[in-house]
Amino acid sequence: MGLYVTLIRAQISAQLQYRASFAIQAVGQFLATFTDFIMLLLLFQRFPSIAGWTLGEVAFLYGLGGLAFGISDLLCGGFDGLSKMIRMGTFDRVLIRPVGTFAQVLAGDVQFRRVGRVVQGVVTLGFALSLLDIAWSAPKIAVLVSAIVAGAVIFTAIWVIGAAITFWTVETSEVTNVFTYGGEALVSYPMPIYAEGIRRFFTYVVPLVFVSYLPALFILERPDPLGLPPVLQLCSPIVAVAFLLVARVCWAFGVRHYQGTGS
Amino acid sequence: MRLYWELAKCGFRRTAIYRSAALSGAVTNTFFGFLRAYTFIALYQTRGEVGGYTLEDALAFTFITQGMAALVAIWAWWPIAESVQTGQVAADLSRPYDYQLAWLAQDYGRALFQLIARSTPPLVVGMLAFGIVLPTDPLTWIATTLSLVLAVAVSFGWRFCLNLTTFWWIDHRGISNISMLVAVLFSGFLVPIAMWPDGVREVVYALPFASMVAIPIDVLLGKLQGVDLLAALALQVFWAVAMLTLGRIVLAAALHKLVVQGG
Repeated sequence: MGLYVTLIRAQISAQLQYRASFAIQAVGQFLATFTDFIMLLLLFQRFPSIAGWTLGEVAFLYGLGGLAFGISDLLCGGFDGLSKMIRMGTFDRVLIRPVGTFAQVLAGDVQFRRVGRVVQGVVTLGFALSLLDIAWSAPKIAVLVSAIVAGAVIFTAIWVIGAAITFWTVETSEVTNVFTYGGEALVSYPMPIYAEGIRRFFTYVVPLVFVSYLPALFILERPDPLGLPPVLQLCSPIVAVAFLLVARVCWAFGVRHYQGTGS
Repeated sequence: MRLYWELAKCGFRRTAIYRSAALSGAVTNTFFGFLRAYTFIALYQTRGEVGGYTLEDALAFTFITQGMAALVAIWAWWPIAESVQTGQVAADLSRPYDYQLAWLAQDYGRALFQLIARSTPPLVVGMLAFGIVLPTDPLTWIATTLSLVLAVAVSFGWRFCLNLTTFWWIDHRGISNISMLVAVLFSGFLVPIAMWPDGVREVVYALPFASMVAIPIDVLLGKLQGVDLLAALALQVFWAVAMLTLGRIVLAAALHKLVVQGG
């Protein structure tokens, strides 16, 4: 953990060397997801609600998912760059260092400009809260905070599993993008709008339903037309940890099978 | 002329090399198409028709746009910028052809491959999954083909200008983020421009970005007939000529700046 912090601090100071470039890129990252938010506003000026969810409630899902994804993308983006490390042979260097491969790759490529995405998530969440009239209580605040952290962990676990697959495929499979960027888009809308197959997959196989939909049901006190047990609304942290453990197993398995590209 | 024909074939083949990238891109486009389609299905439960778009139109719109993103290269296209960074541009500029036309020819080759590999599969899957029906009137298809040819020209003209900014600012990542946002938003890629608020809609429709995505789609969906159709095609011709002319002016200015290191 100490190593992770040291490595990240070094990268941040390196990236801040080019201040103008950094500022433009951070703004760019902020704006990149902003288009989706404008799309939401455009749709809601023509349609009153989606599956019974109002603009404020959907914006709440958007904010939760965006913030969780932003944090994961900012702190754990290194796994997205594994393909390049394998191709360039720099992963060999990771293997010979006397530190775990997981922490090294995790801290390998922290792009501080991605803080723009985090800011965007916070802004969207703030916008949602300004529209909604939530009766806050200690459990609700606890669920909100734990959901953001759990969501970030779930997205990170997806990056890790996607990266572990590149030990065999070398090229980053764009299929990973379906679950990361696609996942972020998926959790921005209430689950009931999706077909049953998609819903089941993102509940029982890749547990994205725990990122925003289930915690939001608890905080917004909405009924669940899907009829999932209400206790699951509190289970995001447990599921996130379990999913991360699965990802760690995949990672360890992948590293053991790493052969290098010979280049 | 023959030279540009060969260059177009070259652009087609060069893009066709990345077959697995095209396949996984088409998978991702299709997945996002499904997410957006379910959003529209849920939204349309409250309204029958919005801005002249029925649910069937919105679904067709969704899968056509998912396919068109790669066709008009709305997200990222920086080969000229990269040739400026590597210095390859100096060699390209001294070749006995028109620099802009040569790139345009290659871009048409690239676009044709993307039409086959990236535009058609999501649309076919969408048609099968959601029962989307496209017009059978041959005149509509002739007009659509013409509109797509013009859309590629407008989009190329825009990308050509953006790429040339690397003569002044070496790092194109900031420009890339911001230009992508502008293009995605104002091309009517996410929400049909017909659904935008009154007053804004007319302005957005007149901008060059609508000529890249929104107009060809409205032509294909049969939203533009008679005089309106001719006016829309004329607008595309105007923007194609304007963008390509602007590109020539920027290129002339860039050549004044270019200093080639000898040896």
